[in-house]
Amino acid sequence: MKRFYLFGFLLLMGFDTLSQISFKYAGTQALPVAASVAWLLRVFGQPWVYGAIIGYVGAFFTWMSLLKHAPIGPAFAASHLEVVSVMLLSVWLFDEHLTVPRVLGAIAIVAGIVCLGLAESREHPPEPAA
Amino acid sequence: MLPAAGSISSLVAGLWLLNVVLDTCGQLAFKAAAGNPLAGDGLARWKHMAARPWLWLGIACYVIEFLVWIAFLSLIPLSEGVLLGSINIVAIMVAGRFLFGEKLTRLRVIGILLVTLGVTIVGVAG
Repeated sequence: MKRFYLFGFLLLMGFDTLSQISFKYAGTQALPVAASVAWLLRVFGQPWVYGAIIGYVGAFFTWMSLLKHAPIGPAFAASHLEVVSVMLLSVWLFDEHLTVPRVLGAIAIVAGIVCLGLAESREHPPEPAA
Repeated sequence: MLPAAGSISSLVAGLWLLNVVLDTCGQLAFKAAAGNPLAGDGLARWKHMAARPWLWLGIACYVIEFLVWIAFLSLIPLSEGVLLGSINIVAIMVAGRFLFGEKLTRLRVIGILLVTLGVTIVGVAG
């Protein structure tokens, strides 16, 4: 069962990561930003926006099936820890830099998410006999 | 929260703020739609929700947020964008506290402060 959870958490992170990467590609290809129909047509006229939608839908169903079985604390944390995978992939895909403030900020945010996950676990203790 | 630090333009800051507001409103609307104990079960519950504005408000918020987020990310590095977006977690918990009386335990407060600290570091220094 542990392996099932781990797989589920990784799948959730994977879908969330796919969404964010796709958002970035979609946005970049639709530049310049404008509150106009032309911008909307540029956004929906290239394939990346649909990658973002697939990521959203996939994450939604993974999240729903995880919540049925998995403990809420780790599930909560896993649903927000894609910041780490997205950051690392941005370096590779978009030539971004892991600046000191970004790394420090990410460490604080991840520590905060872990605290919130622990808080969720304490408030919703796992039900006996799963 | 986001002073005029070199890389952050007012458009980016505005989109960031709009994203937080839309995400929080959307989540709270879904909570209001789903949390009504009088709504019944199964299909009746969905009918009950569809006949009230909360579900639709939530969906509208999410659709607009989707577009706002694309615009936001197209203007700043993705690694910075996802970190700044983490503030949504804080906004929803604080709003849940005020609107639904959800408890903020000590561990939660520590978590909220850490996430806020992280977002502030990234927002101020990029």
